[in-house]
Amino acid sequence: MSGGTIFWGSRAVPFLTGESVASALGRAGVRSFGLGPTGTARAVFCGIGQCQNCLVSIEGRSAEACLTICRDGLHVLPEAEGLSDV
Amino acid sequence: MFNPEILIVGAGLAGVAAATELARAGHPVLIVDRAARAGGAIHRQPLPGQAGVATAAARWNRLIAEAEALPIRWAFETRFNGVDHQGTALLTGAENRMLRPKALILTTGAREAVRPRPGWTLPGVTTAGAAQIQLKTMGAAPQGRVVLAGSGPLLIALGAQMTRLKNPPVAIVEAGRPFAHPLTSLRLPLGYLREAAGYMATLLAARVPILTGTRLAAIRAEGETLVSTLTDGNTSREIVADMVCLHDGIRRNDIGLTDCPALSVLRLGDCAEALGARAALEAGRAGGRAMAQALATGTTPTAPNSPLLDRERAAQARLARIYAHDDFAALHSLPSDTVICRCEGRTLDDLRALGPAPRTRELRLLGRFGMGPCQGRFCGEWVARAISDTPQAPVPAHPLGEPRWPAAPIAVADLHAAAPDTGAAPPHPHGVHE
Repeated sequence: MSGGTIFWGSRAVPFLTGESVASALGRAGVRSFGLGPTGTARAVFCGIGQCQNCLVSIEGRSAEACLTICRDGLHVLPEAEGLSDV
Repeated sequence: MFNPEILIVGAGLAGVAAATELARAGHPVLIVDRAARAGGAIHRQPLPGQAGVATAAARWNRLIAEAEALPIRWAFETRFNGVDHQGTALLTGAENRMLRPKALILTTGAREAVRPRPGWTLPGVTTAGAAQIQLKTMGAAPQGRVVLAGSGPLLIALGAQMTRLKNPPVAIVEAGRPFAHPLTSLRLPLGYLREAAGYMATLLAARVPILTGTRLAAIRAEGETLVSTLTDGNTSREIVADMVCLHDGIRRNDIGLTDCPALSVLRLGDCAEALGARAALEAGRAGGRAMAQALATGTTPTAPNSPLLDRERAAQARLARIYAHDDFAALHSLPSDTVICRCEGRTLDDLRALGPAPRTRELRLLGRFGMGPCQGRFCGEWVARAISDTPQAPVPAHPLGEPRWPAAPIAVADLHAAAPDTGAAPPHPHGVHE
């Protein structure tokens, strides 16, 4: 089984080739992706990029965790933390 | 000035079928999809090395083999953001550019409707479709105790697929009473009955509780656990789970997809009319041929129609009757602090504060409904019904205003990177913010 590792903050999370960031995080037991601008949790809801509820910061850019395919070494942060880095 | 390609958005049944017909007629075709592979939602392919959950796999295998033998250009992990009034389309992602296609075919499929309920924004609460896509991709059922709730045939289908993958749902909570209409059900097409019978046999053998005439009224978090309140109108009970999957029907996925006076635009499959897979394949093929003919004769393509589409239309109407239930009352009896707009946390109270019969402008500018990044996809229908006094009043196609592009938020960096290759000025996206 091929795959690799992404980083949720400093935590290493394994993924399978072709897997989405949301799927890899979910299988690692991470289901809350930090807080959104209104204080509710970012998390997977629709799973197809419609609801924008799973936005996270990926390599410094806001992106849907459910649509983004994992690449080895990808750095993923809660959206708010990612933005404060810029 | 125009690029030679016909741009097709969405590599599911309708898009791939349209692409094969156009490519066979000699047209250059570019098909884009945000996913990493073709398949769409219905034929979502498993990750390499994972076992698939074959649903009518032969249908897809035939189509994709046919398409791959033709000179079609595929761009995956690529997002179509919209088309401006001059016919300039913006693609971002793996293929980041602007182009002016010769014609545009939108095959963006369906989206799910989920009725708001207290707790529907909690982590661990997803749509049933999200769980099904995860199941198809991983070839495994979601882990832990899962409740499926809402209304519609997808709940039964997903429940059976989970059962076959060794994690049956702890309950299926269906607001309608689908088994109370045997005569209506028996007049469904044979394929529908056979599929439903297969799912029911699996669920009954595994003794999965199917609670009909029962609503999942609210969800609350207790630590990592989700406690759902179920009500059948007389009694209430609670059910504990790790994950709750909600689904209240299928809608066409056409938000943010505008028409364009400068080029032929055709919507095919579920994004034109949510009629399911058989219809999407048929409409994709017929629509592809219609577009080829229109381009050859310089005419405007017409939306396809056929006896099969009529049959699917009748079957969907019959299904709607079988699953009919009073969700208008459910909506109007929600606690007033229930979140209606997930993006900005706007509640039923916030909606009522706008006074009786607010206009679209007031809903957006004062209420901020439809102004968040989902552009009203998840609240529009419920806003329209919550401000209506009439249970049967039809919901307008675009209750929070006419669609405009972009279809989803765009990063400024992507806009910069998408150098126009036509000599035309870069388009000004009309954002969702007024």
